[in-house]
Amino acid sequence: LNSEFGREVENARLFRLMAKLGFINERPEYEHDRQWSENGERYYLKLFRDYIFHQVDAQENPVVDLGHVLSCLNKLDAGSDERLTLVSRDNQSCFVVSYRELKKGMESAFQELSKNARRS
Amino acid sequence: MEADWDEITRIVVPPGPHMLPTPASTIAFDDTQELLWIGNDHGRVTAFYGPELQRYVSVKAHISEGPVRQFLFHERGVLSIAANSVHLVSRKGLTQWHLNHPSMIDLRCMSFTSNPGQILLAGCQSAMLVVDIDKGQVVSQLPSEASYTMMKRSRYICAATEAGAVNVLDTTDFTILKSWKAHGTAINDMDVRGDFLVTCGFSVRHLGASIVDPLANVYDLKSFSSLPPLPFHAGAAYVRLHPKLQTTSFVASQTGQMQVVDLMNPNSVDLRQANVQYMLGIEVSPSGDALAIIDAEASIHLWGSRSKVQFSKRRQETEFGEPQADRAPFVDWKEMPLNTIGMPYYHERLLSAWPSHMVFDVGAPPPQIDPNLVLQPAEMGFYAPNSKQSLRYQVEDTRASQLGSSMAAPKFLSEKAKAIPNN
Repeated sequence: LNSEFGREVENARLFRLMAKLGFINERPEYEHDRQWSENGERYYLKLFRDYIFHQVDAQENPVVDLGHVLSCLNKLDAGSDERLTLVSRDNQSCFVVSYRELKKGMESAFQELSKNARRS
Repeated sequence: MEADWDEITRIVVPPGPHMLPTPASTIAFDDTQELLWIGNDHGRVTAFYGPELQRYVSVKAHISEGPVRQFLFHERGVLSIAANSVHLVSRKGLTQWHLNHPSMIDLRCMSFTSNPGQILLAGCQSAMLVVDIDKGQVVSQLPSEASYTMMKRSRYICAATEAGAVNVLDTTDFTILKSWKAHGTAINDMDVRGDFLVTCGFSVRHLGASIVDPLANVYDLKSFSSLPPLPFHAGAAYVRLHPKLQTTSFVASQTGQMQVVDLMNPNSVDLRQANVQYMLGIEVSPSGDALAIIDAEASIHLWGSRSKVQFSKRRQETEFGEPQADRAPFVDWKEMPLNTIGMPYYHERLLSAWPSHMVFDVGAPPPQIDPNLVLQPAEMGFYAPNSKQSLRYQVEDTRASQLGSSMAAPKFLSEKAKAIPNN
């Protein structure tokens, strides 16, 4: 029984993380928000989503690698100091960001969302 | 310029998406890292690393405002201006702030002031603005005496006007201390360092054509007097003063002739030729060991001594993205538990931590489908024009409508009494 538990113990944590990501990214209200636009402060959060989920191989075939997703999410969750290069969809812009900065950015975006949330 | 100086690297200025490369609109060497920053006509800001000018970060700092006009370096990052905005981007490419202001109509230049946390912005417009770098806000606004195209600061702010004059401004209250009519029609380039100001510009000759003056004017800011000009027969179009050697200057012509000349002794000259069709500007690194040239074919030429070229005085480590050395182990969708991939070491609150005050009810009945909809069967489900007046995916309290009818919990008498006056 213990080993069964051990297998699933990470799931809740990962799911909560995914929920936060889902809440933040690609909200239509952000579409005309300067902060999320190409020269805005939060553009890199958008690009990080692409980094996790939109990997491709050399032939531009999508790569569906759960291991990559998990390791990215774990590093994001912990806010590790590892740095990664994020590239925009048009290949023109690139940014160097650490997971620590990504975590901070996500946290503040989520804070803002939940602050604005109208609780009934 | 030492004997072994030569062209080390040449790169093409990156274009905007789907556009032909355009010449760099401004370039600048970083003061703390081995980076050369290039601004282009589409508002893009790109940094290149080291003597090989390896591409580093690239950001669209200004959108549809025309060329990037100037860079300034601050410990938090790189400031850039275009016609209607100021942008601060960290050296790793993350936007710190972006500032638009109604009085930013045609910004051309900026300068640090006597307050290290503030910059002065000016341009071909009636107002100058003082901006706080930490807050990213306009602190004050003051009338501009002239249309300024260039600003350089040493003990004063030297500002070139559109009409070929140079105004010397106080760094605190920005009053004009001295004004020189340096060139006939316009100032093409200028540089200030220590007590010296050198300008290059155009004059109108007969028939109204402007040509580059064959003299670079030199001024002494200590005594506010002009010094003997530097003669340069090919036409002095661009000038930079050497950052370490007090009186040494680099002067260049539009055809690519460069000379290194001592302001105090204009006759001893070291002459070089850059391999360009048409030169659009030069920039010297803070160390004095590297020189970048913009040409009209949209490339950047880096000059220096191959063996010991270094850009900045204080060499700070540039951070790169780490190569993904070890690929994450393969994880199966069905069988393998998700904890196959372990967490890295951490000691802070995790991002997945959920705020404890956020508690949600679940199990509410699903929202009713509007009975008035005329549904067309589709390949999957049904479709109909959206007739709802509410927002897309607006939350409905589906419990409330049901509570009243059948599911209302029985109330105590006292509760019933309370409920009546409310209704």
